[in-house]
Amino acid sequence: MSDVTINVNGTDRSATVEDRTLLVDFLREALGLTGTHVGCDTSQCGACTVILDGKAVKSCTVLAVMAEGSEVRTIEGLAEGDELHPVQAAFCKHHALQCGFCTPGMIMAAVNILERHGPDIDEALVRHQLEGNLCRCTGYHNIVKAVLDAAQQTRIAAE
Amino acid sequence: MSEHDSGTDRDADAAPAAAGPCTELPEGWAYDAEASGIGVLPVDMFRSIGKPVKRREDRRLVTGKGRFTDDFSVAGQLYAAMVRSPYPHARIRAIDTAAAQEAPGVLAVLTGQDALDDGLGPIPHNPVPSTRFDVKLRAPDGAMPFIGPHLLLPVDKARHVGEAVAMVVAESRAAAEDAAELVEVDWEELPHVADSLDAMAPGAPQVWDEVPGNAFVDSAFGDEAAVDAAFAEAAHVASAKFHVNRVTAVTMEPRAALADYDPETGRSTLYAGSGGAVRQKRELAETLGLDPADLRVLSHDVGGNFGARNRVYVEFGLVLWASRRLQRPVKFTATRSESFLTDYQGRDLNTHVQLALDADGRFLAMKADNVSNVGARCVSLSPLSKGSGLITGSYHIPHAHLRARAVFTNTMCTQAYRSSGRPEVTYAIERLVDIAAEEMGLDKIELRRRNLVAPTDMPYRTAMGSIYDSGEYEANMDRAMALFEWDAIPARHADAEARGKRLGVGLANYVESSIGTPKERAEITVAPGGQVEVVIGTQPSGQGHETSFAQVVADMLQTPVERVRIVLGDTDKVSLGGGTHSGRSMRHAGTVMAMASADLLRKARTLAADRLGFPPEELDFTDGAFSHRDSNQTVTLAELATADAPLFAARTNEMHAPVFPNGTAICEVEIDPDTCRIEITRYASIDDVGRCINPMIVHGQSHGGIAQGVGQAMWENCPIDAESGQPLAGSLMDYGMPRADNVPFYDVGISEVLSPTNPFGVKAGGEGGTTPALATVTLAVLDALRPLGVRDISMPVTPERLWQALHAAPQATESRT
Repeated sequence: MSDVTINVNGTDRSATVEDRTLLVDFLREALGLTGTHVGCDTSQCGACTVILDGKAVKSCTVLAVMAEGSEVRTIEGLAEGDELHPVQAAFCKHHALQCGFCTPGMIMAAVNILERHGPDIDEALVRHQLEGNLCRCTGYHNIVKAVLDAAQQTRIAAE
Repeated sequence: MSEHDSGTDRDADAAPAAAGPCTELPEGWAYDAEASGIGVLPVDMFRSIGKPVKRREDRRLVTGKGRFTDDFSVAGQLYAAMVRSPYPHARIRAIDTAAAQEAPGVLAVLTGQDALDDGLGPIPHNPVPSTRFDVKLRAPDGAMPFIGPHLLLPVDKARHVGEAVAMVVAESRAAAEDAAELVEVDWEELPHVADSLDAMAPGAPQVWDEVPGNAFVDSAFGDEAAVDAAFAEAAHVASAKFHVNRVTAVTMEPRAALADYDPETGRSTLYAGSGGAVRQKRELAETLGLDPADLRVLSHDVGGNFGARNRVYVEFGLVLWASRRLQRPVKFTATRSESFLTDYQGRDLNTHVQLALDADGRFLAMKADNVSNVGARCVSLSPLSKGSGLITGSYHIPHAHLRARAVFTNTMCTQAYRSSGRPEVTYAIERLVDIAAEEMGLDKIELRRRNLVAPTDMPYRTAMGSIYDSGEYEANMDRAMALFEWDAIPARHADAEARGKRLGVGLANYVESSIGTPKERAEITVAPGGQVEVVIGTQPSGQGHETSFAQVVADMLQTPVERVRIVLGDTDKVSLGGGTHSGRSMRHAGTVMAMASADLLRKARTLAADRLGFPPEELDFTDGAFSHRDSNQTVTLAELATADAPLFAARTNEMHAPVFPNGTAICEVEIDPDTCRIEITRYASIDDVGRCINPMIVHGQSHGGIAQGVGQAMWENCPIDAESGQPLAGSLMDYGMPRADNVPFYDVGISEVLSPTNPFGVKAGGEGGTTPALATVTLAVLDALRPLGVRDISMPVTPERLWQALHAAPQATESRT
C-alpha cells in the first residue's frame, strides 16, 4: 500500500492505495470522480483521458503512485461554475455526443489539442489527434465539427 | 395468433400471392384517427416537432455527471469475477473451488450446481419474433424451435470460449480476479464447430444432443412453383454466395451490473444498463424465482447498445443471486476482453441468392437460401426473421422463394445488432443487382431504376408478404446522387488517377423494417406549477429520448418543451414498456404519448368547462389554455391541476403494423494499388424516416449508423480459428474500428414520406445509416478494382484481402504494369 497525494482539479487529494492501483481507479474509486470512464483494458479507447501536468494521457496507463505530486485535470474540473468550457459548449451545440460515455475523454483530449496547438488547427490535425479516442455513436462527424468550432470561438475571443 | 388473422401472417406453408400493390390491407394496419381516440393531429400546431432542439441530456454528460452503471457504488459492496471456459466445447467433469475459497478476501465461489440447488432456472429468452407481421420461423418438423436452455452457469459442458462456469465473489475486484485463477475445472475437450455451414455437414460435432445436425430452424417462404417457372423462362440468372461476417457491438461502456439486497424488505435493486429495464426485471425475476415485486431494475445512462444489451446477460442474474445469498451488494463490470468474448455478437449470415431477369433487365423472380449462425444457444432469431421479410429489397420482384435456417455452433450467441438482419439482405440483393448489371452489360443505375418499387404501388406487398407502407424510392436515389455530385465522378476519377489512385463508387438502395415489441405505455402528469412528467418504457442509449419525447408531448399539450420531463429506466416507475430496439421507440412512444395527451386534454376540457361555465365542446385549446370565444377568461392546464389532484392520464397501446424506412447511400473510395490502402473520400445518403421529430438527432443517428456499417465492411471482424476454435478478436488491439482519422464527413439528407400506420407518420431513424453501408463500401471497392480484374471480395475489405484479390486476379499482372 502507498500514500498518494495528487493535485486534482486544483485541490490536493490523498488516499492510501494498493501499489497496482491505476490513476483512473484512484480517480473513480478513491476520489469518487466517476466522470472519467474505463472503456477497455489495452489503452485503446481513450475514455479515461485526463490532463496530467499539461499533457493528455490515458489514465489507465499511469499508476497512481507515478502521479504522486502531479497536477491532474478531469472532466469535473473543466467548467467554471455554471459556465461550460468552450469545448464542452461546442459539444452540446454540435450534437457531438450521443450516449456520452466517450465524451469526457474526448473532451479532455480536445481541450489539450487546443492547449498544445493553439486555435489555428484544421480538420486533418483534429482527426489525427483524436485517433486514440474511440466513439461508437457519432461517426466522429459532429465531434470534429465541435472541436473546430471551439477553436474558432477561441480565435474570436482572442481578437 | 388466431386463425382468422392468417391473411396477414407469413406462415411457412402459406404461399403469398405475386408481389404488387396491396389492395386488401389487413385490419388495423392503417392508423385510424377516430378509433385511436386521438382525432386528427394538429399538425399546424407543431412548434417543437421538426426542430433541431438541443439535447437536455448533454449537460450532465459533458460535465462528468452521467450515471452509468459502474459509476454507482453501494457501501460494503463486493466484486464478482467469472471463471470462463478456455475451450469452445468441453465437458465439465468437476470444479474444485477449495483453493479459491481460501484466497484472501474471498466470500464465495459459486458454480452451476449451486445455482440449480438454489432453484435457479434458465433465462426465459423468447427468441421467436411474435408480432402479427413477423415471419414465422419454425423447427424442421414445424414445431416451435428448441433454443438451448441458457442457465446462468452450465452444469454439463461449456459450449463456447468464454462461457462462465463459476463465479468468485471477493472484497475487491483484484482479489476476485486473483482467486478466479485458482478455480480448477477438470475439462474433457470435445470436438467443436464454429462455421454454420460446417455445422450442418454430416458428422459435425453436435452442440445440443436435442438437435442432431445443429439446424434447429428450417422454414421456407414464398411460391416455389412460380419461382421455378420464372427461372425457367429467364433470359439471365445472376447467382452469388456471400458470408456476412460476424461482428460485435463494442458499446463504449462495457456491460456492468450492481445488485443490492435489502434484508429488511426482501427487495433487490439491480443497477444494470440495458435496452429496457422492464424486460430485464421480468426475465431476471423468473430466472431467480423471485416475485417481480421484489426486484427493482435501474437503467440510467447507457453507454451504447446497438442491440447487444437488449437481452439478459448471465452476470446480471449472477450478481443478483450472489447478493441475496451473501446479503451484501455485489458488482460485476466486464473487462473489454470479456466484452469481446461474451457480449452478444452480430450478423454471421451465409446466403446464396439468385435473381432471374428478362432480356430487358426486368426482375422476374428471386431465390434465397439463408443460414444464420446463432452461436451456442438461441437468444434471438430477430436477424434471420427481419432479413427474411426483406430479401427482395427495394425492388419489384414478382415471385420469390426463401429457405431460412438457424444453426447452433460453438461460438458466442448472436443477437440483433444495429439494423438486425437488414444490412445482411441489403448487401446480398445490392451486390446481386450489380453482378446482374455487369453480366448483362447494363448500366447499374438504369437497372435499379427499371426495377424499383414505384410510389404509385404503395402500399406494396412483396413476394415475401411484407407490406411496404410508403416511400419514394427512385426519388431517394436521385436525391442521393445529386448530393453525391454523381455527374462529377468522371472528373474525380481522372483526378485520382493522376495521383496514382483508383477511384470507385458504390450505390445501394435499401428498405428496412421496423417492428419491435408491440406494446408501450405512457403516463403523463401535469403538476400545479405546469411541469409535465412523462413516464415511458423505452430505454435510450444515446438517442436523446429525454429531448425528442419532450418535443412531442410539449406540442400535444401546447406547453414549452423545457417544462416536460421524461422519466425512464426505473421499474418502480415504469410498469410496462418494450424498451428500445428495432427503431421502435419514437413510433411506439410518440403514438402512445399522443394518445395519453389526448386523454389528458379530454379530462382537462371537462374541468375547464366547469371552471369557465361553457359546454366542453365549445372550448378552444391554444397555447396550453382553454378559452371560449364569448369570454375573455382563460384557464391553463397548470391552473386545472392541484397538488391533491394533478392532471393525469395513462394509456397502453398495442401496435403491430411494421413500417419500412428506406433510402439510398453512395460511397466513394480511393485505393492505392501499391499499398492497397483504402480511403473513403465521400459518403452521401438519403434516409426516409417518415416524420422527423428532431433533425439534429436524426442526422446524428445517420452519421453513427454509417460509421458502424462502414466499420463492418472495412475493418471489423470476429473470426474464429478453425483448428482451435479460439476467437481471434479479443481486444481493441485486434479488432479494427472506425476512428476519427479513417472516416470522412458525411453528406446526409432526410426524406419525410409519412407512414400511414401511426398518427405522426413516423418510420424510424436509427438504423438507416448502417443498413446499406456494407453494400456501398464493398461495391465501391469492387468498382475501383474491376479494371484490375477483381470481381469478388468478402468483408471486411482489408488491405490484405485486396492484395490477395489483386494477385489472384487473372488480369492482375498485365493491368498493373
